[in-house]
Amino acid sequence: MDALIVIFITGLIGLFVGMMKKPVLSLSISVLGLISAFILMLYYKSYESPFGNYNGLNFTPSGNIFALLVIGLTLLIVLSGFNYFKKDIEHTADYYGLILFSLCGALILIGFTNFFMFFLGLEIMSIPVYVLVGIRKQNTLSSEASIKYFFTGSFATGILLFGIALVYGASGTFDLNEISNSVSIWKEAPAMFHVGVLFILAAFLFKVGAVPFHFWSPDVYQGSTDAVMSYMATVVKIAALYSFVTLFGSVLGASGNIYTGILEIVIIASFFLGYVSALKQSNFKRLLAYSGISNTGFALLSVFTGDFGSLWIFLLGYTASTIALMTVSQAIEKIDSEDIKNWKGIGYKNPFIGVVVLISFLSLAGIPPLTGFFGKFLLLSGNYQNHLTLVILALISSVIGAFLYLRFVINVFAKESHAEKICIGPLHITVLIISTFVSIFGWTIILF
Amino acid sequence: MILLVLPFVFALAAFLIPEKLVKYFGLVAALSSLAVALGHLAYFNPEHLVYIFNPNKAFPMGLSFKMGYDGLSLTMVLLVNSIVSIILLANYRKELAENKLFTSLVFFMQAGLLGVFLAQDGMLFYTFWEITLIPIFLILYWFGKQDNNSVLLKFFIYTLLGSLGMLLSFIFLGTSVQSFAYNDLISSGLFIPAKIACWISCGFLLAFAIKIPLFPFHTWQPSTYTTAPMAGTMLLSALMLKMALFGMIKWMIPLTFTGIQDIKWLIITLGSIGIVYGAVIAIKQKDIKTLFAYASISHVGLIAAGIILFTQLSLESAIIQIINHSIVAVGLFFAADIIESRTGKRNIYELGGIAKLAPRFGFWFAAMTFVSVSVPFTAGFIGEFLLIKELFVAHWFVGIIASTTLVLGAVYMLRAYQLSMFGAPKMTQFEDLKWNEILVFALLTVSAIVIGISPQCIMNFVKPSIEHINELMVGGLNFIK
Repeated sequence: MDALIVIFITGLIGLFVGMMKKPVLSLSISVLGLISAFILMLYYKSYESPFGNYNGLNFTPSGNIFALLVIGLTLLIVLSGFNYFKKDIEHTADYYGLILFSLCGALILIGFTNFFMFFLGLEIMSIPVYVLVGIRKQNTLSSEASIKYFFTGSFATGILLFGIALVYGASGTFDLNEISNSVSIWKEAPAMFHVGVLFILAAFLFKVGAVPFHFWSPDVYQGSTDAVMSYMATVVKIAALYSFVTLFGSVLGASGNIYTGILEIVIIASFFLGYVSALKQSNFKRLLAYSGISNTGFALLSVFTGDFGSLWIFLLGYTASTIALMTVSQAIEKIDSEDIKNWKGIGYKNPFIGVVVLISFLSLAGIPPLTGFFGKFLLLSGNYQNHLTLVILALISSVIGAFLYLRFVINVFAKESHAEKICIGPLHITVLIISTFVSIFGWTIILF
Repeated sequence: MILLVLPFVFALAAFLIPEKLVKYFGLVAALSSLAVALGHLAYFNPEHLVYIFNPNKAFPMGLSFKMGYDGLSLTMVLLVNSIVSIILLANYRKELAENKLFTSLVFFMQAGLLGVFLAQDGMLFYTFWEITLIPIFLILYWFGKQDNNSVLLKFFIYTLLGSLGMLLSFIFLGTSVQSFAYNDLISSGLFIPAKIACWISCGFLLAFAIKIPLFPFHTWQPSTYTTAPMAGTMLLSALMLKMALFGMIKWMIPLTFTGIQDIKWLIITLGSIGIVYGAVIAIKQKDIKTLFAYASISHVGLIAAGIILFTQLSLESAIIQIINHSIVAVGLFFAADIIESRTGKRNIYELGGIAKLAPRFGFWFAAMTFVSVSVPFTAGFIGEFLLIKELFVAHWFVGIIASTTLVLGAVYMLRAYQLSMFGAPKMTQFEDLKWNEILVFALLTVSAIVIGISPQCIMNFVKPSIEHINELMVGGLNFIK
């Protein structure tokens, strides 16, 4: 809770300081705020609400580690985006402010205990992102992405509200505990409840970008800047997935198995549609967007088990790789890193970048002993008993994924090319080292 | 533990060595890791299982991180360390030997291979199994022929697909007992109904059949061998496919013993098809490297068919044959590379008369050829003879099919030797062997002959560990009954 307040105030201060047009100052304030929020979150051990009877927001132990993850990721994103943000001197502070506000929403989504706070969190998280996507007003792609994201996102919000209203109508409460109490009392859930849950499900699938609600993500990713894209692909996705598993893993999922069937189809479609569409992409961001759809499919497997530990490890691997790749993309942006043809030979001329790209992609492909492998392994072994078909299909799809990633790595390491030596800034190097370290050794956290 | 960590350290240290000294460093490092392995051998009692890393602590997900060796594993460890030394020695005069990255990757590969052979934990085995893919992939990619991207992708995806099958099997076995430790996996495997165990062993088989490679899964092999650099081919054929044969002996059969009877004849059939198919195709090959690649398919088919019988004698002779195949693979691909690098040709019809120009090469290549066709007093003779005998006991028809390898092997090897080495010289000069090349051939030939004369030393060495595996299973089966 303290962390939330600190981040919000940091965002406000950052906006005011922005008037001085000193990028380094804005960055240091945000970094300071994020680090102190991280520390506060680390020592947040009471798991009790400071507001007495009001308990709309409460971080459980598993919520706590997810909150730490999103704060840490935002820190990395802010650091890696600095070089770009400072070029846009008019809006430098806006970037930091909006990202921090959105992070507040993400934290609420991780700590909510009733539908009211949930909706609030979702909106606080999404609205700054709509702005961030469209912040490059001169760029047509950016404007298109922003409008598209805003309209589809608002539509999803509408559907979500409708769903919440129906669930409220059926159960008579917004509180998650009370809802799950009523679910356990009912012999058969009323139709209104089922319809409400289906609406909520649809809105969620939109937010996490799973098939068939995935069409926005490649366009929006392509239209936004690298830092904003990595924010959307990591923090927003984590928060949405966490609340998804909270809701469907325990509360709503217990009410029947019609969602299981729907989710199974969604997951299978995500596995294959994501990777197969990614095979034909020539734009780096679109490629990552499509591979992100498949990874979402993997993450959704945890809904069946309701196990946050495996989801956390999986997301750790996925986000570390995404951040590393997007940082590389920013570091080499002067050669137009969006077109994957321009990545040819980068790794051969710049061994450091090459190793980072190699490890990130191998981790995404799930090659042991990298973090990505252990995430997938935990998710699959959790679902082994009840969803064997899904597990086998997941393995088959990850072969397609490995092909996709390996082909890219081969391109990056090509010997004969016109690639040149690229000088990487110290901030980028820091981010790359941290995220690569996490990709290699992040899984050891399960041993403790 | 130092046994496993040392190659990792060498892999990192290779970057710190000045470029001129890298090739000396490579040799010295490989020999010192061999010396460490020999040190382990000196204190080793074949009756015991020695743990080199044994944390007595329960880890989440049933991971146990146990590593150790019995006679079987130590044989493979010694094989890896000595073959890596020989590969670096063979590579000594090439440009690659002065490349830091290459030397580092070879040691990385060695560490991965040692991990595979030392693992006493299913997940660890799988992890090291996959780790070996990364250095070999990079070696093939950076130092292989240009324009081999599609070949490489085929190799990588093929092997990855196979190992995912193995992962599925491991997840099933491991989650059912909540432990991945070898002993726990064996005892849990015995309780699995035969039908499910059959499916699990199919998962393992997918991984191993692709790596070995067994007959219908071999299509990645010839193209990969021919586009790889010499050291890459040697690592692949002499060491990497031994992981699969070792995996069959140590993991696949004991873990899924109740189901293995159902697929036993499938593997024997595929192996026998491979024996004849590989040999027949090898007879018609012009390209000398492709010829040796198909010869390799023919040889390993026999080993795989022998292993699946799972009798005491067949396993012991399979170990002999595994060692022999490593010797033969290194020797033959070395000879092929010498021919290719000095004449620029691999087509045996364009070669000829080399024996006149380079008599020393002629002699040693002939020695390797004889080792390969398994004349008596070489390791191959013992191994093939015993394997064929065991197959004959299992079924007379399979024995007859398998014994064609002796004849067909002689046909394709002698044809390759005759066309390339004899006749009128088709080139003006052919530089004769240097000291390191003679040393490589001599070491290989001598060790083949030593094993051929006294195979007992290896058979007795691995006997207790094979008996131990049998005890674990038979004891468990009796316990169930």
